[in-house]
Amino acid sequence: MRWALTFGLLGLTGLLGLGIFEIWPRPCFPDPDEIALAWGVENSVAAIVLGQRLWDTILEVLVYVLAMVGVRFFLAGLRWQTKLPPVAETPFFRRSADLLFGPILVFAIYVAASGHIGPGGGFPAGVIVGSGLLLLALAKGTEQLAAELYEPKLEGLEYAAVLATLVLGALVLIFGLRSATAFVAGNILIALEVAIGAWAVLHRFAAARGEV
Amino acid sequence: MNAALLGILSYLGLGVLGILFGRGRLAAVLALVAGGVTLSLWAPEFPEGFLGGPPLGIALAGDFWALGIWGLALLLHAAVLLHGWKKEGLFHAIITVLIGTCLAGGVSRDLFNLYIVLELATLLSVILVAKEGRSPAVWAALRYLLLAGVGMILYLFGLGLVYGRTGLLAVSALAHADFSIPSIRIGVGFLLVGAAVKTGVFLLGLWLPPAHGQAPTEVSALLSGLVVKLGVMTMARLAEAFPVEPIVLALGILTGFGGLIYAIWEQDLKVFLAYSTVSQLGYMLLGLGLENQEAGLFYAVAHGLFKGLLFLSAGSAIEGAGKRKISELRGGLPWPAVLGLALGAWAIAGLPPLAGFPGKYALALSSPIWAKGILLGLSLGTAASFSKLLPILQPKNGDQAGGIFLLTAAILGLGIWGIFLFPGLWRLNPWLEAVLPAGAGYGVYLVLRKVPAKIRRLPLDWAILSALLTSLFLIAVVLFA
Amino acid sequence: MEALSGLALAVALAGLGLWAMVTRRNIVWKLLGLNVASGGSILFLVALSHRPGARPAIRGLGPGPAVDPLPQALVLTAIVIHFATLALALALVIILTEHRHTQDAKRLEEEQ
Repeated sequence: MRWALTFGLLGLTGLLGLGIFEIWPRPCFPDPDEIALAWGVENSVAAIVLGQRLWDTILEVLVYVLAMVGVRFFLAGLRWQTKLPPVAETPFFRRSADLLFGPILVFAIYVAASGHIGPGGGFPAGVIVGSGLLLLALAKGTEQLAAELYEPKLEGLEYAAVLATLVLGALVLIFGLRSATAFVAGNILIALEVAIGAWAVLHRFAAARGEV
Repeated sequence: MNAALLGILSYLGLGVLGILFGRGRLAAVLALVAGGVTLSLWAPEFPEGFLGGPPLGIALAGDFWALGIWGLALLLHAAVLLHGWKKEGLFHAIITVLIGTCLAGGVSRDLFNLYIVLELATLLSVILVAKEGRSPAVWAALRYLLLAGVGMILYLFGLGLVYGRTGLLAVSALAHADFSIPSIRIGVGFLLVGAAVKTGVFLLGLWLPPAHGQAPTEVSALLSGLVVKLGVMTMARLAEAFPVEPIVLALGILTGFGGLIYAIWEQDLKVFLAYSTVSQLGYMLLGLGLENQEAGLFYAVAHGLFKGLLFLSAGSAIEGAGKRKISELRGGLPWPAVLGLALGAWAIAGLPPLAGFPGKYALALSSPIWAKGILLGLSLGTAASFSKLLPILQPKNGDQAGGIFLLTAAILGLGIWGIFLFPGLWRLNPWLEAVLPAGAGYGVYLVLRKVPAKIRRLPLDWAILSALLTSLFLIAVVLFA
Repeated sequence: MEALSGLALAVALAGLGLWAMVTRRNIVWKLLGLNVASGGSILFLVALSHRPGARPAIRGLGPGPAVDPLPQALVLTAIVIHFATLALALALVIILTEHRHTQDAKRLEEEQ
């Protein structure tokens, strides 16, 4: 079978290489600055993601949230199978993780809120919050962190954020709203959804650890 | 266009509301109403518009594909809702979002938008297939996810090549692209095989039989009836933009007969119906390949209806009897299940006056002689594979008839409308052409009944490998032909 | 020239990932292969947005030509979708391991 696989992969990569070589001369694309101007922002990528191709972004947010629904559903019943040793982190680490989480959260809010002026946006912001939560989970243990965060409310908040994104999408797509505020709102909503989804993944996967 | 967008957004939003509050059935009913209202607002068509401004915005258009898929989606959703009324709210809420996705895909004419729609549909299908937690279903869902992932990687490469060379993503704009450039040919080849993996054609998408076979009943009906049509529609859009019809035709013939070989010998009822879906995809791809997209769409809608009917009835039968193998299902099934299976088999064999008859006739109308021969061969094989259902059609008491009745009425209605729609169906010739292969198929079944099955099913590694090798072959053909 | 090396690297990653998907028997390895291959296809799209000597596509960053922002936008979407797919696939792997106590694809296929 490996011969067939080698042959197939070499063939496919060869075809791709041929395609790549023939890609030049590249076509011109519309001036990004004009796209950004048309939508009232400075970051053309944000103008495209939350403006020109907003419909794609809405569907993609749905992909993400529904994957998290699936993860929550499938891993709902799993719990620790064996008694796990307590989290053996030093008090210094635990205290500094607590202290660091605040600036991480502020940084994430900054990245989200300034996504239309500079690089960034909702998706990186959500991931930053997720990493911060991961840091806290490593320091304190996932179960204790989960006890401090009220999960059903977070889940409800994520779905509410999705609904708000759909309403925002309707406003922009159907009623033609074009303002930078819509961009900021969209970015913050997306950051909320991504962050809560990342927490759901972290929590359920860590809780499902055990004897398999 | 705004009406269609409103319909899709309300479908998706109501689905999410259903997940949030756990009231899936209420959400589904409201979504059906919203969908029906918005469909009546924009039917029969709306012109192509760019969401977000040309040339890089998202092209949406309400052409005949959109109309067909919307109608099929709403009908199937209603039937599945009726049939599975007793299932829990989350199930119905996710189904609502899945139907909303198919509605979004129906109006799309943008390659990247189609990518996202296909991925969302795959994700939702995976969750639904594995929902009941049975171990074969979870493995089938994982296989589906892996193979679909491979397909979408190929699709993205193709998208990159095509965009890198032309700077366009909308189907109508890409129709003017210069097809002689190797980059574009290779890119289109990759796009085509990516869409084909998602559609579930024979060698490229071998995830289909286990996934549709092991899924819960309503999910199988929706997947075979509606979600595969999204892949067919993607290939239709590609065929509209680029001259790849011969490839699609060859793919149709391959999957038609390949699916039949497995279907004739398959003994598990639901897996048999799944292989039959693989084979019926051949009909639809033949329609695309013969440049007769309307006939392909008509057959796609008709197939959605009768495959949905067959799956719902099969589900009733299996729940009534507790067994999955066809030979073990003798001795009385719930009478709605018998009605559904009988009518579904009648329709899929192409016998008048149900919906399969005008569908096959429409495909045969404008095709050359060799294509008519292929269609006859496929009809014969389909009839042969479905004849094995005849011994088990013995009714007894049962319930759960709502969804089955709805689909039966729809098939009858579509069939009669189709007979009026396509001229020439009132003569004797098409009726003979429909009945004779069915009869011959029954004869073939009687002969093959004694021959034991010697066909292996491909495990996951071989499935991925076959997808890669077939893709290589097809892309090379697109490049050099 | 940078675009070419980026594109070639992307193709190599995809080939590597697909190789791992077919060759390895453990389904977690297959998922890792899918992850790497997805990374390859995403890198392919990003490398397409390169223009020689251009600045990032943000309005205030000075004169001169800018890179193509559209593939970057497409890639944002593609990354999120691949991450979501991976998360769901891992959840399914956990359930499958819980029921069948094996992660070997061959044994999972046979014991149907």
